[in-house]
Amino acid sequence: MLSAILASGLAVGAVYALIGVTYNVMFSASRVMSFTAGQLGMLGGVFGALFISRLGLPGVVGFALTLAACALVGVITEIVAVRPVLGRLEQHLYVLSTLAFALMIQQFTAIEWSTEPQPFPRLFGIGSGGPFDEKFWLPLLACAAVIVGLELLYRRTLVGRAFLAIAEDNFAARALGLPERNLRIASFALAGVIGGLAGFAGGELLLANFANGGVLNFYGFVPVALGGLGNSRGAVVGGLALGVFQQAANFTVGGVFASVAVFVVFIVVLLAAPSGLFGPQQARRV
Amino acid sequence: MMTLTRRGFALGTAGAAAAMALARPAIAQSEPIRIGWLGSLTGPLAAPGVGFDRGMKWALAEVNGAGGVKGRHVEIIVRDTQGDPTKAVNATQELISRQKVHAMWGPGNSGEALATTPIMARQKMPDLHPCVVNSLIDPEKYPNAFRLAPSNTQWDDAVRHYTLDIVRAKDVAVIGDSTGYGTSAVKDSVANFKKDGANVVYQATIDPNTSDVTPDMLRMRDSGAKALVIWSVTTGLNSRLMNARAAIKWDVPIIGHPALGTGEVGKLVDKPANWENVYMVGYRSCSYGADGKLPARSQEFVDKIKGKIELADTSLWWVLCAVDAVNVITRAVAETGSTAPEALIGAWNKLDPYPGLFGNYRFSPTQHNGYPTDEVVMSAANSQRDLVGLGCEEQTKGWGRGRAPTCLLRPC
Repeated sequence: MLSAILASGLAVGAVYALIGVTYNVMFSASRVMSFTAGQLGMLGGVFGALFISRLGLPGVVGFALTLAACALVGVITEIVAVRPVLGRLEQHLYVLSTLAFALMIQQFTAIEWSTEPQPFPRLFGIGSGGPFDEKFWLPLLACAAVIVGLELLYRRTLVGRAFLAIAEDNFAARALGLPERNLRIASFALAGVIGGLAGFAGGELLLANFANGGVLNFYGFVPVALGGLGNSRGAVVGGLALGVFQQAANFTVGGVFASVAVFVVFIVVLLAAPSGLFGPQQARRV
Repeated sequence: MMTLTRRGFALGTAGAAAAMALARPAIAQSEPIRIGWLGSLTGPLAAPGVGFDRGMKWALAEVNGAGGVKGRHVEIIVRDTQGDPTKAVNATQELISRQKVHAMWGPGNSGEALATTPIMARQKMPDLHPCVVNSLIDPEKYPNAFRLAPSNTQWDDAVRHYTLDIVRAKDVAVIGDSTGYGTSAVKDSVANFKKDGANVVYQATIDPNTSDVTPDMLRMRDSGAKALVIWSVTTGLNSRLMNARAAIKWDVPIIGHPALGTGEVGKLVDKPANWENVYMVGYRSCSYGADGKLPARSQEFVDKIKGKIELADTSLWWVLCAVDAVNVITRAVAETGSTAPEALIGAWNKLDPYPGLFGNYRFSPTQHNGYPTDEVVMSAANSQRDLVGLGCEEQTKGWGRGRAPTCLLRPC
């Protein structure tokens, strides 16, 4: 019983964590909370099912195409919903623009794909529904890969350091000659890849369903708030904790009360630590 | 030059007004018959709406293809309510006030109908709907509303009797989705199980978008349930419950809502075995009989629509029920020669019986629940054959103990 709760809790939590990281990657480059993060997760599942199940492409090709398609959606988000409002960040117009674009993505998917959940293909055929089924460990594997990948990108590559530079001080980075706009576009493409990976890895659990976008937007935001805005490590810890707590609440109180329990804890945590459990990234002298 | 006197102007105006008044019935009798259709066509509750929509479109093409009703063309004005009661209320008001529809079909789910039924009653709008919540039909409060499907009581009776008398499970878990329909169905079902002496060991409503219901399933198993009764139209939730049951290796029977047997559930279960030991409310008109045949009317319809209406991802009853809705409305117009609300409602109050595709409906001024109880059956959810019917062999008629003569169909 404990293993079942842990398996599903960690798996769902890993998907939430990845959506939280998606929020953060977009935020770091633009100071915009883009509410398309959950839709990118939804699209990861839908594109995966489309390429592999409907079009019959091999899993590897379907996976690569899914990530590419989600990266493209990330770039379009930057051009359509973020760039036009960057000059007026203090008016929070991005809330409207990104929410509107997210709704457009969701409705378009509902019309073109299906309003009913569609099956996501079994990728490796490992496990038979128990705690060690691939649908539980694939999101965890994806989450681990993203953490390692981001660490390597940010610490070991010039491009990664440039990302960090514009995240820390946009004006100073531009003054140093860094191509801020191109780096922002690349960040949104990277966010698209991470969001798409979340949906693809969690596809067997969440199914390919247009309605997942709203759910992921909502529950993916919680780890960002819990872990601290812009703090991806905090988002991962917050996401995993949220998933396990949610499933434990499902088991102990059940039904719709589980959602109530999750948000009671969320509000209590934010009252106690308004900047999140891990706080925002600290400013430092450079 | 002719001068216009005050008397001439007054006479001319009165004459024009009289001519317009005389012309109005003629205009009314040639204008299209407008049917409003409040369908949940997108969103997690869209499965029935999509099926109903296919039936509506088919019936519309048939009626207009045959020249309409006494030369009057039929129009269906669709509004997608997305399963949201607020949108359904707005659409209802728009269809009545701006589109001036003559009759309404829908909404397609009870949560929305709970909000729209009083509004339609105030506007005296003739309304046919397939929603099962009992309180939606009350000829005194809502003399304009008629049900073309079983009531929740009829579904609930069939499911409860099957659980207690055939499966012989006394300890039951009753769950539903967290919509207006699911919440209300769980409440009624629990009360009726308790009234019949059953032990309801677990009851809950679950968010239809919940990604993993393993914890809920574990709770039900720990509560000692010997049967799970499910009231949800959400194919995603229904299939997840079946998959979670298999994952924890718990072979408990699942009994309940007709949506447990839709083609979409078949696509979403991890393996076909997960769909075993699941029983759903079905209908005689959509089931194979002891002779292995569908009822003649249904078979004729299925032959006619072959290759034209997709049935693989829906339920035949949703399609049939919507076809009947259009036919019941147009028949009332044909009989009375009018689209006035009182004419349509009066004609429906005298339908006794109306041999529809989905059922033989009977209405009277005091009974607006039109679906006959003896046409409600229970079927194995995975026994769909040729993508149309369920069950194949009549096993039991009647339930003993003086209960409703619902019949059970054994899976093929």
